[in-house]
Amino acid sequence: MTTGSIEQSERTSLEPPVTSTLLLDWVSTLDHKRIGIMYILTAMFYLAIGGFEALLMRIQLSMPNNTFLSPEMFNQLFTMHGTTMVFLVGMPVLTGFANYFVPLMVGARDVAFPRLNAFGFWMLFFGGLLLHFSFLTGSAPNAGWFSYVPLSSKAYSSLQGVDYWIIGLLIMGVGSVSGAINIFATIICLRAPGMSLQRVPLFVWMMLMQSILIILALPALNSALAMLLIDRWLGSAFFDPTRGGSVVLWQHYFWIFGHPEVYILILPAFGMISEVIPVFSRKPIYGYTFVAASSVAIVLLGYGVWAHHMFAVGLGMYADIFFAVGSLLIAIPTGIKVFNWTATLWGGEIKFNTSMHFAVAFLLQFVIGGLTGIMFAAVPIDWQLTDTYFVVAHFHYVLIGGTVFALFSAAYYWFPKMSGRMLSERWGILHFWLWVLGFNMTFMVQHFLGMMGMPRRVYTYADNPGWALLNGISSLGAVFMAIGTLVFLWNIGTSLLRGKIAGDNPWDAFTLEWATTSPPPPENFTVIPEIKSRRPVWDLNHPENADWKTEKTPADRGIRPNLPKLAAWAFIASEAVFFLLLLIAYVIFNTRSGEGAVTSSVLDVTRTGIFSLFLIFSSVTFWIAERFLRAGKQSAFVLTLGLTILLGITFLAGQVWEYTGLLTNNITINTNLFSATFFTVTGFHGIHVTAGVIALFVMLMMGIKGNLTADKSHVFGAVGVYWHFVDVVWLAVFGIIYLGLLQ
Amino acid sequence: MSSYFDLTSGLWKWSSPVWLLVLSLIGLYIIFHHRALGKRTIFFVLAMLALALAYVSPIGVLSDGYLFSAHVIQHLILLLIVPLFLLLSLSESAAETLFRQPFMNRLGHVMSVPFVGWLSGLGVMWFWHVPSFCNASTVNYSLGIFRDATFLLAGLAFWWPIFSPLKRFHLSASLSVIYLFSACLGCTLLGIYITFTVISVCPAFANPVDRLGIMHFLYDQGMTPATDQRLGGLLMWVPPCSLYVCAIMVVLKRWYAEMEHLNSPKTAGTTSSLREAQS
Repeated sequence: MTTGSIEQSERTSLEPPVTSTLLLDWVSTLDHKRIGIMYILTAMFYLAIGGFEALLMRIQLSMPNNTFLSPEMFNQLFTMHGTTMVFLVGMPVLTGFANYFVPLMVGARDVAFPRLNAFGFWMLFFGGLLLHFSFLTGSAPNAGWFSYVPLSSKAYSSLQGVDYWIIGLLIMGVGSVSGAINIFATIICLRAPGMSLQRVPLFVWMMLMQSILIILALPALNSALAMLLIDRWLGSAFFDPTRGGSVVLWQHYFWIFGHPEVYILILPAFGMISEVIPVFSRKPIYGYTFVAASSVAIVLLGYGVWAHHMFAVGLGMYADIFFAVGSLLIAIPTGIKVFNWTATLWGGEIKFNTSMHFAVAFLLQFVIGGLTGIMFAAVPIDWQLTDTYFVVAHFHYVLIGGTVFALFSAAYYWFPKMSGRMLSERWGILHFWLWVLGFNMTFMVQHFLGMMGMPRRVYTYADNPGWALLNGISSLGAVFMAIGTLVFLWNIGTSLLRGKIAGDNPWDAFTLEWATTSPPPPENFTVIPEIKSRRPVWDLNHPENADWKTEKTPADRGIRPNLPKLAAWAFIASEAVFFLLLLIAYVIFNTRSGEGAVTSSVLDVTRTGIFSLFLIFSSVTFWIAERFLRAGKQSAFVLTLGLTILLGITFLAGQVWEYTGLLTNNITINTNLFSATFFTVTGFHGIHVTAGVIALFVMLMMGIKGNLTADKSHVFGAVGVYWHFVDVVWLAVFGIIYLGLLQ
Repeated sequence: MSSYFDLTSGLWKWSSPVWLLVLSLIGLYIIFHHRALGKRTIFFVLAMLALALAYVSPIGVLSDGYLFSAHVIQHLILLLIVPLFLLLSLSESAAETLFRQPFMNRLGHVMSVPFVGWLSGLGVMWFWHVPSFCNASTVNYSLGIFRDATFLLAGLAFWWPIFSPLKRFHLSASLSVIYLFSACLGCTLLGIYITFTVISVCPAFANPVDRLGIMHFLYDQGMTPATDQRLGGLLMWVPPCSLYVCAIMVVLKRWYAEMEHLNSPKTAGTTSSLREAQS
């Protein structure tokens, strides 16, 4: 352990600030650690809500033919429980840990964009509030966490619940993507000298993978939500089969997001376990490269297997076969990790504390969840068991048995660093056993209920043989988990007040967060240790057995990309997926459209082509402006940038002209599928051009005032990445919609 | 109705002119590579086998106007399998001899520009599945040969920045991952389009001329034109992406291993030091 750590930690431990601006300090904070804690507290608050909803459902299901809840209330509860647990507990708590620990683990002072970080948190916070505000309207969302159409369409869900669900998710989605870009940029650009990407702690690596998943998967949900919202509010027919729309399209788009979402929730858990098990086995992780590379495989495969959630739809035999094989393949990289963790335990000097208890339980329970997942990859089994309690058991074994247990393990491991005090082991072990018993009682029996045919999402059940007993066990288990959670909260509360002082590195752990005080100071580090291996703190504290003496790892070449440009690229990657899916919807709906308004009959291709040239030319003038800026020719820069803005506005004027013509001819977004897809795609593009013009205008003002000079040209370059992207999207839009390519 | 066993002889085309190409390539390989014959030769053998199978086996026969899905398999072999094995069959020393010449070196550098390989690989796939081009190249024999040649060349260009025998032409690991992942995305889009579109992507396969008298057999097996096209789309989508994921794994392995090699550890890595430290 680092010398003198206890004295330091006593000085920096949690003493209540006496200032009267405590609340303002937290609300206005940009410190990644405070924002991380706020994410975690928000998640805990919603865990209480989501958990309470689960308890109500389990009370209802504890006996047959129960009338404790009405069917309507039950629908709202399972919808809000799922939505809350995924979007307001799972994602925020993981983002919270990432916010707190990623900068510390890579040796950075803060995240790449502290203001964006705060923005992301508040978007989540208010998005969550908005979603739950729906309860006050008397109609919380009730169409399930994946809100399948046509149930979620206006015809079947006429109250506002689904609207709150859509808007809440859109707002939280913006927060999630901005948070992911931040973590991504922090890991790529802000690593301390010596920390090559091949040396980052596995939790950091997993967060890098997770951020990529969020950046590329969330837009699929956003595009589907946008279309559903337009259907509900403006009367279009994307998902209305009676007017040519497709309900299956919603399922495709939702699961293109939804399946990667599973990995968004489990990959950080893998990272946590990969930190905890080595430290408490007193060994480096076995096969670091396998664990890291297999995560890349999971990310890549995760994008290609969404349709295994749709086997019951009837996609056709060949599609089923291909997606089944793809899904089975994911078991390989996941299985590799389980072997790695087990091999790390093998022969280690295991310290079986609370954190390790949760980690070992994670291994066992996650394997059960994984195995039932492999069962679902077999199409006939899926057909038999889909929408039964077997599915409920399967994904709770992954998300609770996996993710939540890993989170508890990480909480016991990292709490001393965050608070400066140790959590009580006595209460911790009680917490563990209550959860292990409660969790397995609740969900193990649901496998059997599912195989007996008990359908999920139905508010009650008949008194079939065995069902009452198994449901009773399940409900009793939920009570155990609730008590366990109270024990955990008690443990946190009492430990914060009078827990044992932790010191800098109570576990003799390996990674950089343990090289600073507990809790860390605002600037994180006074001095960052030399990084020559994957375990710099081990090397520091045990120089005679330093890793770098025996096991060489790839050295840091010092390559750190330009931060604003990297963030801009990450952002446009996300936006590209959004537009791609909207364009796919256009192609799908317009290759078979033979009636009503179509391109050739209502659009003036030549006129729009001319206006398109203005937009394309604006990219050229932007490029010239960038060169002028770099050369220090300020007035020429301002002039060409002004011209760029003018060209952009001209393009927008052309779009207004086109829209006016269409609207006066009574072609509106709800006319037919052509008009719906046309207005949606070009409308969103127009919004992006408008945002770009505003950004350019800000740049122009800064240029005129002399605040944007050659030394800040990379910031202008980042805006350029966005502006050129908008042009490229338009080329695709023009080709597909106006020139009719792919039709 | 013909049985499957009656058809098997008709489904092989042993007189295919592809043998001329195979023999020529074997000759060239022996001439330029005879000093470096070794384990890599197995890749060359695999490349030749794949090339021959693409034309001689039922894949080649059925892709000639019968089944769109067989036609896709043939394209994948020509675009992704044969060029990959050919590149893997070349040793560094033999390639260095060839690419030491200024023109070849320049060519190697041009081909290592990611945009060139990416656009070649994805471009040919998309271009030859525009309905009119797909149809014309299936009906017209000469155009078909030209199309197949473009597949082979584009495949070489596509794999060059990843599996070139000379490391100086390799992309960085991060660019390689983006290169392959985006190629997967390109295949996925084309695959989705072909799988789900109601348009006949290659009309020649919708109304085949039944030269071998096997149409009834194929239809009895459920291979109607619509099913056939869906299968073709899925083949264009899933197998290439799986291959790219494998390639990404190879790139990552190289990323970790090569750098460790640069540091040239004198002693093998050991994890026992930790436990020793505890004691």
